[in-house]
Amino acid sequence: MNKHLYIKKDLPFEIYEINILEADEKDLLKISKEMGLALNLEEMLTIRNYFLQKHRNPTDIELQTIGQTWSEHCYHKTFKGLIILPDGREIDSLFKTFIAKATRELNMPWCISVFEDNAGIIHFEGDYGIAVKVETHNHPSAIEPFGGAATGIGGVIRDVLGVWADPIACMDVLGFGPLDYDFSKLPPGIKHPRYIFRGVVDGIGSYGNNMGIPTVNGAIYFDESYVGNVVVYCGCVGLLPISRYVKNARAGDHLVLAGGRTGRDGIHGVTFASLELTEKSEEVSRPAVQIANPIEEEKLKRAIMAARDLGLASSITDLGGGGLSSAVGETAYKFKCGASLKLDNVPLKYSNMAPWEIYISESQERMLLTVPESNLDKVIRIFMNENVEATSIGKLTSDSVLKINYKGFPVAELDIPFLFSPPKFRRTAKFIKLKLKEPFFPEPKDLTKDLLEILSSPNVASKESVVRTYDHEVKGNTVLKPFCGRNNGPSDAAVIKPLDDSWRGIVISCGINPSYGKISAYWMAASAIDEAIRNNAAAGGRRVALLDNFVWGNPEKPDRLGSLVRACAACYRFSKGFRAPFISGKDSLYNESPLGPVTPTLLITAIGVVPDVRKTVSMDLKEAGNLIYIVGQTYAELGGSEYYRIKGFLGKSVPKVRLKEARRNIRAITRAIDRGYVRACHDLSEGGLAVAAAEMALASGYGLEIWLRNVPVADDLRRNDYILFSESNSRFLVEVPVKYKEAFESTVRGAHHALIGKVRGDGSFIIYGLNRDPVIHAGIEELIDSWKKPL
Amino acid sequence: MRYIVRVEVSLKPGHSDPEGETTREALLELNYPVDSVRVGKVYEILLEASSINDAQVKVEEMCRRLLANPVKDDYRYEIKEASNE
Amino acid sequence: MRREEIRVCIVRVGGTNCDAETKRSFEDLGVKAFVYHFNEVSQGIDLLDYHILVFPGGFAYGDYVRAGVIFAKNVMARMGKKIIRFVDEGKPILGICNGFQMLVESGLLPGINGVSEHPEAALATNIPIGYRCKWVYLRHENNGKCVFTRLIPKGRVLRIPISHAEGRFLLPRDREKEILNKLLENDQIVLRYCSENGEYAEGRYPDNPNGSFHDIAGICNPEGTVFGLMPHPERAYYGWQLPDWTRIGKPPRYGDGKMIFESVVQYVMRKF
Repeated sequence: MNKHLYIKKDLPFEIYEINILEADEKDLLKISKEMGLALNLEEMLTIRNYFLQKHRNPTDIELQTIGQTWSEHCYHKTFKGLIILPDGREIDSLFKTFIAKATRELNMPWCISVFEDNAGIIHFEGDYGIAVKVETHNHPSAIEPFGGAATGIGGVIRDVLGVWADPIACMDVLGFGPLDYDFSKLPPGIKHPRYIFRGVVDGIGSYGNNMGIPTVNGAIYFDESYVGNVVVYCGCVGLLPISRYVKNARAGDHLVLAGGRTGRDGIHGVTFASLELTEKSEEVSRPAVQIANPIEEEKLKRAIMAARDLGLASSITDLGGGGLSSAVGETAYKFKCGASLKLDNVPLKYSNMAPWEIYISESQERMLLTVPESNLDKVIRIFMNENVEATSIGKLTSDSVLKINYKGFPVAELDIPFLFSPPKFRRTAKFIKLKLKEPFFPEPKDLTKDLLEILSSPNVASKESVVRTYDHEVKGNTVLKPFCGRNNGPSDAAVIKPLDDSWRGIVISCGINPSYGKISAYWMAASAIDEAIRNNAAAGGRRVALLDNFVWGNPEKPDRLGSLVRACAACYRFSKGFRAPFISGKDSLYNESPLGPVTPTLLITAIGVVPDVRKTVSMDLKEAGNLIYIVGQTYAELGGSEYYRIKGFLGKSVPKVRLKEARRNIRAITRAIDRGYVRACHDLSEGGLAVAAAEMALASGYGLEIWLRNVPVADDLRRNDYILFSESNSRFLVEVPVKYKEAFESTVRGAHHALIGKVRGDGSFIIYGLNRDPVIHAGIEELIDSWKKPL
Repeated sequence: MRYIVRVEVSLKPGHSDPEGETTREALLELNYPVDSVRVGKVYEILLEASSINDAQVKVEEMCRRLLANPVKDDYRYEIKEASNE
Repeated sequence: MRREEIRVCIVRVGGTNCDAETKRSFEDLGVKAFVYHFNEVSQGIDLLDYHILVFPGGFAYGDYVRAGVIFAKNVMARMGKKIIRFVDEGKPILGICNGFQMLVESGLLPGINGVSEHPEAALATNIPIGYRCKWVYLRHENNGKCVFTRLIPKGRVLRIPISHAEGRFLLPRDREKEILNKLLENDQIVLRYCSENGEYAEGRYPDNPNGSFHDIAGICNPEGTVFGLMPHPERAYYGWQLPDWTRIGKPPRYGDGKMIFESVVQYVMRKF
C-alpha cells in the first residue's frame, strides 16, 4: 500500500484514514482499485467533494460503505441511469421508463407491494398475500459452484423472509456451457461446464432440501456463451398474512442483528459482481464466496415467523450484498432516520476483524430487524428459543446520519441522504444490425430422425436426473409436480396449495429463450413473457404477475446496452399487453469472460393463481380415443429454433408475439379448462408442435396421431418440417374427450384452433404430412429412449 | 492437560461405499489409474483430560456413542498432547 | 379413549422440516397434535401427557456426523428414561425419514432386545448414490404386530413418496441373516419396496430406490409400537398429493398414507 494515501490511525484496532483530500485523479482511481471499491472517477470525485466540505478524510470503513451502497449490485446504476440512444434521445432510467411504467399504468388492485421491498407482494386470498423474488448468483457460482448456488438459494429465501413471508417454494433456472465442451478450449481460470453443473445442482439441492422448501419449478439451458458465464437464477415464493406485513420503524427502535455470526466470508462480493470475470478471478475472489448453512437459516426462519405472528418488530430486511452496510443504510434511509451503531456488538466468528470488514462482510444467514425498546427482550428470547443468536447492535436515530462506533471510538459518520444519491450514470447505447440469413435446405422426407435428435438435444431432453435430487414434495402442498404421467413428462408449471382450508392454488411457471436473444433481444423478451404466461395458463393459472431477471454483458459497452434497451422496451409493451404487471426483478450485468459476453438472457417468472387446484390440468395424455386440438396459429418462425440448431443454422425468422392472438388463445384455454373440457394441455415451445406432441405422448405411454393438413398456418407455410418445428408463440396442444367436441369448439371460438389428431391406444406416434403420408412414425419407447438418454 | 485427537471414521471393509465408487469413477475419467477409493470422515478434537489414558477412554467412548455406527463404521484415532498456545 | 382426547407430540429441532404437514395429517383425523421444539420437550412439557410421539422428517442438526445421530443422542441423553417409560406404557412412537434414522441411531429400532446402547442397524448412503425424491411402491408385510399398519391388509401395495440421500437399510454384515430371521420371527418388518404389482424389488433399482437390505423400507420394534419408515406418509395423506390424480380427473379424497395415521389413532383409542 502506498504510504501517503493510507494513513494508519493510532487506535487499538486496525483502521486507516484514506487521504483523498490530497489525492489526484490518478490516486483516486488507484484507491478505488486497491480497496476493491469498483467506483469510477466521477464517483470518486463526488466522494472527495463530500469530504472536502467536511474538512476531513474518510476512514476505510466510510469509503467501503459508500462503495458497497453505490455498487451495481446494490444500486442498479445501469437501470437507474441515463441512456443516450443513437438518435440522440435520452432514456432516464430503464427501470422507470419501461418496467415500472407497465405496472404503474396497469395499476392492478391485487398488487400489494411492487419493486419497493425485498420481494414483490400480490394478493392471494383473504388476508393472505404471495411474496416472490428471483435473484441471480452467476459470479459466485462461476468461482465456487456449490457454495455459489447454495448461497444464491439462501439469499433469495432471505429476501422473502425480508417481507415477513414464509418461504413455501423455490424455483431455479440454470444455464451452463455444453457438458461435452472440449477441455482444451477452456481458457485458464474457467472451469469445465460439467464441473460447474455438478456443483451448482448439488448446491441448490442441498440448500432447498435442508431448509425444507420444495423446489418446484425451473429450467436448465445449455449455450456456448455460458461456458465462461454460468447462469444461476434462484427464486422463492412465500406466503404472508398481509396484516402482518409491518414496516413502520421509527427513531429509537433497536437494530437487531439475528442469525449466523459474522466472519470474513464474502467480503467484496458486491463489488466483485460488478467487475468482469478475468483469469485472476479465481485466486483474487475466493474469499468473496460465502459459506452456506441452511440449518441456521431454517432456525432463523422459525424465529422470524414467531416474531411476526406476535407483531413484535417494526421492520425487517435481509443481509445480502454489502452485508450490514447496505441493510442498515437502506433501513435508515427507508424510514427517514439515521442510525447509531456499536460495531463491537456484532457477534463474530473470530476476533481480529477490522471494523470495515465487520461492516461489509457478507456472511450468510443473517437478518436485520428493527424492534421497539419495549419488545427487545421478547424478540431476543424468541431467537434464543430456536438456538439463534440475536443482538441489538444499535438504534435508529432521528438525525439522518449514520454513526458507527467501535471499541468506544467513532469510526464513521456519513449523511444518509448523501449515501443514497450517487452520481447518475450517463451511458450510450448502440443498436447493432446483425447480418443474419434465413437458411435454405431441402425438406427431409422422413422427419423421425430429426424429432429424435431434438428430443435428445440437451435443451429439450429430460432433466429428471437433476430434478429428482431436489425435494419437490416437502410441505406436502405440491399439487402439480415437476413431472407428470407414468413416464415423468415435463410439467408446464407447478401448482401449490398453500392453505389447508382453501382450494385456491399458486401457479408457478417461467419462460426463457436465450437462443432467440442471438437474433433479437426484443423478441427474445417478448417470447419469454409469452412462454411464461402460456405455461401458466396451460396448467390452469390466470391473473399472472411477472418477474424480470436480466443476465447481460457489460453495459458500459454500447451494443450490450442497446440490446438491453430493446429488451426492456419489449417488457413494457408485452407486460402491458398481457395485463401482467411486473412486481419484482433483478439484473445481473457484466457477465463477460475471456470467451466473450453472455448471450442476452431474460428469465421471466410468472406467478398465477388457480381458483380450485382440482381443476388443474397436467400435460400427459389421458385416454385413447380423445381428440387433440391445437390452439394458436403457426408461422414460419424457425429463427433460433432447435430444428435450425440441429441443422447447424441460427436463422433470422425469430418467433414474434401477436398480442391480440396471444390474448385470445390464452383466454380460450383458461375458459376451456374451467369448464372441464380439457384432459391435458401442453404449451408449444422448443421443438414446436412435434416436441410438444411427443412429450404429451411419451409422458403418458399412449400413442398419438397428428394430421398436419389441419394445422392452422400462416399463408406461406407449406413445409411439413417447418409446421412441425416452428416455434411460434402463444400455441397450445389440448386433449379433449369426444363428448366435449362441440362444447370445446364453441368455447375456443374466436381463437385459431383446429382438430389435428387423436390419442392412440397402441403406443405408436404418427404424424401425417400435408399430403397425408406419414412424415414421422415412431414407437413411444423410442421417443422415451431419446428423451431420457442425455443427462 | 489438553490433547489433540484425530479420529478417522470409515466404512467397514466389505461394505459398499457409493461415495468412494463415484469418486473412483470421476478420477478414472480424469485419466488417473485408480483401483479403489474409500471415503471416510476425519474429526479433529481438542480435548481436556487428566492423562493420555484418560483421554483415550474418553475418545473411545465418543467414537462408540456418536462418531461411528458399529453396524457399518470402523474408527481409529491418534492422540497427541496439545502444545500450549 | 375418544379421538379428540388423543394428544400427539411432534418434536422438532433445528433442521426438522416436515412437522407442519405431519401435524396436519393427525389433526385431519380429529386428534390434537402439537409441535414442540426439543428444548420444550426436554424441559417444559411432560411427554407422558401425550399419547403418540413423532419424530418427523428433515435434517435434524444438519445431519452432521450421520443422519439423525445427533438428535438421537441428545434425546436419549436428556430424556432417555422418559422415552423408555413412554414405550413401556405401550404408547406409540413414529419416526418418518429423518425420524426413522433417528430411531435407529438411538437404539429404539429395531430394539430386538429392548433399547440397545449402540445402533443395531444403519441407514447408509443410497445406492445408486444421491438424493432422490420420487414415489415408490411399498408392500405391507406385517402380520398385525405393528400398530401403525393394522388397518392395512397384509400384502397390500401402497404408494408413498421417498425423499432422502441416506435410506439404505443395513444390518451388521456378519449377522445379517441371523438378525433378519429374528426380525421376521418377531414380525418387525413392516414395509418393503416392491414393483407396481407388488413383486419384491429384490434389491433392484429403481423399485428398491436406495439399495436397502431385503428391500426394507420400514420396521417396528418387537412390541409393534415403535415404527420407523423412510417414505413420507404425510405426503400421501390427501388424494390431491398423489402424483397422478390428474389422470383420474378429480383427486380421490385420501392417499395411502392416511391408513398409517388412522391405524395408530384407532390403536390408541382402543388401548387407552
